[in-house]
Amino acid sequence: MREQRRKDAVWRFLTYAFVITMVVVMMVPLYWMLVAATLPQEQFLQFPPRLIPGTAFLDNFAALQERLDFVRTIRNSVLIAVVYTLLSLVLCSMAGFAFAKYEFKFKEPIFYAILATLVLPIQLLVIPLFLLMAQLDWTNTFRAIILPWAANPIGIFLMRQNMKSIPDALLESARMDGATEFQIFYRIALPTMRSSLAALAIILFLFQWDLFLYPLVILETADMYTIPIGLAQLTGFQRIYYDQIMVAATLAIVPMVVLFLVLQKQFVSGILAGSLKE
Amino acid sequence: MKGAGLAGIAGLAGCIGTGDPGGSDGSDGSDGDDGSDGSDGSDGDDGSDGGSGMASEINVWGWDVAARALMITAEEYESENDATVAVEEFGRSAMKDRLQTNLLSGSGAPAVSMLESVDGPSFIDTGSVAPLTDEIEEAGVQDDFVSGKWEALTVDGDIYALPWDTGPTAVYYRRSIYEEHGLDPEGIETWADFIEEGQKLPDDVDMLNLPEGDLSGVWRYQFRQLSGEPFLESGEVNIHNEKSLRVAQNIKEIYDADIAANIEGWTSAWFSAYGDGTVASLPSAAWMEGTLRAELPDTSGDWGVFKIPALESGGPRASNWGGSNLMIADQVSDDKKERGWDYMEYSLATEEMQLAMYDEYGLFPALETTYEDPVFDEELDFYDGQPARALFAEVAQEAPGYRFTEDTPEVSQAIETELQRMINGEQSPEEAVQAAAETVAENTDRDLA
Amino acid sequence: MATSDETDDRIGQAYRRRVRTTVRTAARKFRRAARPLWDRFRFARQDLTAATPTLPRVAYIFIAPFFLLFSVFLAFPVFYTLYLSFFEYQGVGQGSLFWVDLGPVYLEIPKIARLDFVGLGNYARLLGNDLFWQSMFNTSYILVIQVPLMIGLALALALALNASFLRLKGVFRTAIALPVSANLVAYSTVFLLLFNEQLGFLNYVLAGVGLGPVPWLTDGFWARNTIIAAVTWRWTGYNMIILLAGLQTIPQQLYEAAEIDGANRWEKFRYVTLPQLKPVFLFVVVLSTIGTFKLFAEPYVITGGGPTNSTITIVQYIYRQAFVNFNLGYASALTVVFVAVVSAFSVAQIKIGGED
Repeated sequence: MREQRRKDAVWRFLTYAFVITMVVVMMVPLYWMLVAATLPQEQFLQFPPRLIPGTAFLDNFAALQERLDFVRTIRNSVLIAVVYTLLSLVLCSMAGFAFAKYEFKFKEPIFYAILATLVLPIQLLVIPLFLLMAQLDWTNTFRAIILPWAANPIGIFLMRQNMKSIPDALLESARMDGATEFQIFYRIALPTMRSSLAALAIILFLFQWDLFLYPLVILETADMYTIPIGLAQLTGFQRIYYDQIMVAATLAIVPMVVLFLVLQKQFVSGILAGSLKE
Repeated sequence: MKGAGLAGIAGLAGCIGTGDPGGSDGSDGSDGDDGSDGSDGSDGDDGSDGGSGMASEINVWGWDVAARALMITAEEYESENDATVAVEEFGRSAMKDRLQTNLLSGSGAPAVSMLESVDGPSFIDTGSVAPLTDEIEEAGVQDDFVSGKWEALTVDGDIYALPWDTGPTAVYYRRSIYEEHGLDPEGIETWADFIEEGQKLPDDVDMLNLPEGDLSGVWRYQFRQLSGEPFLESGEVNIHNEKSLRVAQNIKEIYDADIAANIEGWTSAWFSAYGDGTVASLPSAAWMEGTLRAELPDTSGDWGVFKIPALESGGPRASNWGGSNLMIADQVSDDKKERGWDYMEYSLATEEMQLAMYDEYGLFPALETTYEDPVFDEELDFYDGQPARALFAEVAQEAPGYRFTEDTPEVSQAIETELQRMINGEQSPEEAVQAAAETVAENTDRDLA
Repeated sequence: MATSDETDDRIGQAYRRRVRTTVRTAARKFRRAARPLWDRFRFARQDLTAATPTLPRVAYIFIAPFFLLFSVFLAFPVFYTLYLSFFEYQGVGQGSLFWVDLGPVYLEIPKIARLDFVGLGNYARLLGNDLFWQSMFNTSYILVIQVPLMIGLALALALALNASFLRLKGVFRTAIALPVSANLVAYSTVFLLLFNEQLGFLNYVLAGVGLGPVPWLTDGFWARNTIIAAVTWRWTGYNMIILLAGLQTIPQQLYEAAEIDGANRWEKFRYVTLPQLKPVFLFVVVLSTIGTFKLFAEPYVITGGGPTNSTITIVQYIYRQAFVNFNLGYASALTVVFVAVVSAFSVAQIKIGGED
C-alpha cells in the first residue's frame, strides 16, 4: 500500500511537472508579446530583450486607436465569430448526428465528399468566391464571410466522430418511447455532447477568428475590418508598427479568454454516465 | 466562339448559360488567341476635356508612407477642384493581395492605385490596367521624368502608369566608424576598393550586411548598374550573361572576404546593428534616409553617402532600387478614369506636389524638373552637412532603365535561390547564373539567350 | 502527533472503503442499467427494420443545410478552379462566362479571364517542376515530424488535465490553449525574435549551456524545424481541447469496472481510454494532417519560404503561382492535385484507423 502511495505521489509529481513545463513554454512567447505591447518601439527593439513590462501600453493603444478604430475592429470580429459559431454549431451537430447514427444511401461517398471540402485551401478559392460575392452584391458584408463555411466540414466530422460513442441503445429506447427523430437528436444526443460542443465552439470560433485573405478581399471599408485585417494594415514596407501590433494582438486574446471562461463549465467528465442513469 | 454558341442554346432554355447572354454585346467575348492586349485600347479616346466628364469622387489606394503622402496632394487637389479624393492606407502585402484579386476578377478596384515598378509588367500583363499613353502624350510630361522609369511601365508601346518616386542608389556609411578605423570613403571607387577598406575593420564590425532573402535585390541593382537586361528584346532569358556572372562573382567576393554580416533585413537585429555601429555601411537607395531618420534618431549627423562602387575601374556607379508609380484600373468607369488621371497628373507631374511629398515623407521625386530646386543643394544635418540630395539627383538621372516583365517574379525567385546556394558553397557563380536562367526559361516557356 | 496520524489513517481507511463500495455499486448499476437497454435494443432492432425507410429521409434533412450552403457558395469556386486547371491564363477578359436568369433573379459571372485551352498541360508541367517537388518534400518533412509530435503532446496533456487529482484545471487548460488565439502577425514577429541567430533569446539560452549558435532561420534544415516548433506551439493546445472533450465522453463506469478487475494505469489507458477515444483521436490525426498539408501562414510570415526554398510549402507555392506570378491556370491545376492527394491521404488514414 505504501509502495502504491509512493508511486502515486511520483506520478502526480511528474504530471504536475509536465503540465507546468508546458504552460511555461506556451506562455513565454505570449508574455513577451505582452511586454512588447507595454514598451515604446525603440525599447522593444533593444538587445538583450527587455523582460519587464513598461508603462507605454496606453500610449501605444492610443496610437493604434488613432490609426484604426481598433475597438470597433474587435467588435466586428467578435460579432462575426459569435454568429458564425452559433449557426455552425447547429448545422454541424445535425449533420454529424446523421452520419453517426443513421444508415442511408450513399452515406460513405457523401461523407468523403464533405471531407474533401475540408481539404480545400481557402486561399486558393478567394478569386472565384470574390467574383461570386461581387455578383450577389454581397461585398463588404458580414454575411458574405459567415455563410459560405457555415456548415463547416470540420464540425461535421468532429460531431460524427463524437456521436459515434453515444450508445445506440440509448437512442433506441427513446425511439421506443415514441420520441421523434428530432427529439432524439435534441433531447438525447445533444446533451451528451456538452464537452464536444464546447470544443467545437472553440474550433469554429477560431476558424473565423483566423480567416485572413478572404475577408481582406471582401471587407472593403475600414469600419468593417476584422482583427487580422486591421493588423495587416500595420505592416508597411519600410516600417512595421511593432508596438501597435503587439497591443492589438494582446487585446485580441481577450475575447478568446472570455470564450474559454464561458465554456469552462462544459468541460466536465462523465456527462454521458449521468444521462445513462436517468 | 463556342461561348456564344452555348449561350444561344441556353438562351432557348431561357434560364442558364455560358458566354454572353443573348450574344448581342459587341465585346470580344471568348478570345483565346494570344497574350497581346490590344482589345481594350479604345479607353482613352475621349481624352481629358477638362472638368465636365469627370467623376466627383474617386478612391485611391496606397500603403504606408506613400498613402500618407497622397493624402497631402489629395487635400490640395480637393481645395482646387470640386471633387473628393478618398485615399485609403493599407499594409503593403495586404493591399497587393486585395488589389490583385480585384483586378483579376474585374470588380472592386479603386480608380487610382499605387504600383511598384518591379510589379509593373506583371500587373499590366493581366490586361487589367488602363493604358495612359494618350493622356501622357497630351499632357506632354514624358520628358519631365527621369528616363529610367519608363521602361518598366511600357508594354508593347503603350504606357500604363505615371512615375512617382525613384530609388537612386548610394552607399550610406557611419562617419564615426569609418574615421575610427581609418577608412576613406573618397578612396572607394570599385567594389574591390570597398572590400579592401572593409578589411581594415576589426572582427566585431562588419563592412556591410548581405542579407539572405535580399540577394535578388542586390543582384538586380548591380546588374542594372551594368545596364544588364534580364530578357532580350525578343524575349529570351538573359540572366546568365557576362554581366550577371560578374555581379554574382562580386557578391561571392564580398561574401568570401568575410566583411559581410548576415542579418535579416528590417528586423530589430538589423536596426540595432546599424544603431550600434556593428555594421559600418549600407548600400541602399534614397528612400532609406527616411527609415534611418525615424528608426535611429540618435545616429543623425553621423551618416554620409557615396555612389555605389563600380564593378570595374571607371565603370558606371549609378543604379536604381525600388520606386513606385500610380496606375488606373481598367475596370472603372470612364468618368472615374478621367478624374483619376487628373488627380494623378496633379500629384506627380507638378513640381510643387512632388517636392511636398519629398519634403514630408522622403519620397525621392522621379520628376526630373524638380532637381533644379534649391532644396537639392541644401547641406543636410543628417549627413553632417553633405548635400546628399544633389548626389541622389545625379544618380537618378544616370541610372539605366530596366526591362521588368511579367516574369520578373520568376527571375527574382530563381536568382534568390541560386545565389543563396552559391553563397552556401554549393555551386560556383557560373553554375548559379546558369541554373537560374534555366529555371526561369523552364518556368516561363522561354528560350535561353 | 501519533494519535492524529492514527486518526488520519482510520479516516483514510473509512474513506477508501466508502469509495470502493461506491465504485462497486456504480459499476453494478451500470451493468444492470445496460442489460435491459441491450435487450430492449435487440427487440427494437427487429421493429426498426420495418420502420427504416422513413429514417433516411430524416438523415437527408439533417445533412441538407450543408449541401444547400455548399451549392450556393462553394460549388462555383470549386468547379471554376477545376475548369481553370485546363487552361493557361492570358489576362483579364470581358463579357460573360456563365449566367443564370430566373426572371426576378439574374446572376451573371463575368468571363474574368482570357484563356488558352492547354488540356492536361498544366498537370504535365507540375510533374516536371523542381519547386513543386521541393515544396512537396518540405511539406512532407514538416508533416512527418510535426503531426506525431504535436498529437503526442496534446494527448499527454489531455490525459493529465483529465486526471482527477489535478487542481487548477481551468487555468492550465486555458493557458495551454491560449497560443492558438495569438494573432499570426504578432506571434510570428515574436518567433522571429526568439529564433534570431545573433540576438535571439533561444540562442542566448543555448549559449549559456555552451551550445550553438544554431542558425534557426538561415539554414534550410533548421528553418524547417523552426516552422515545426512554431506550428506545434500554436496548435498543441487546440488539439488538446478536442482530445479532452473526447476523453470526457468516455463513461466513467468503464474505468470503475476496469479498476474492479484490477487494471493498472497503463491497462486502463490501453483497454479503456484508447478504444473509447479512437474516433476522436482519428479525427485529430486526420485534421492535423490536413492542417499541416495546408500549412501556409507560418512559413509565409516567418521564413517567407526560404532560405533557398527549404521551407516553402505546397499551398505557399500555389499561392505564389496565383498571386505573384499570375499563373491562374497552373495554380488551379496544382490546387486540384493538392486536394486529390490530401483527400486520398485522409481517406486512407480513416480506413487504416479501423473505422467501423
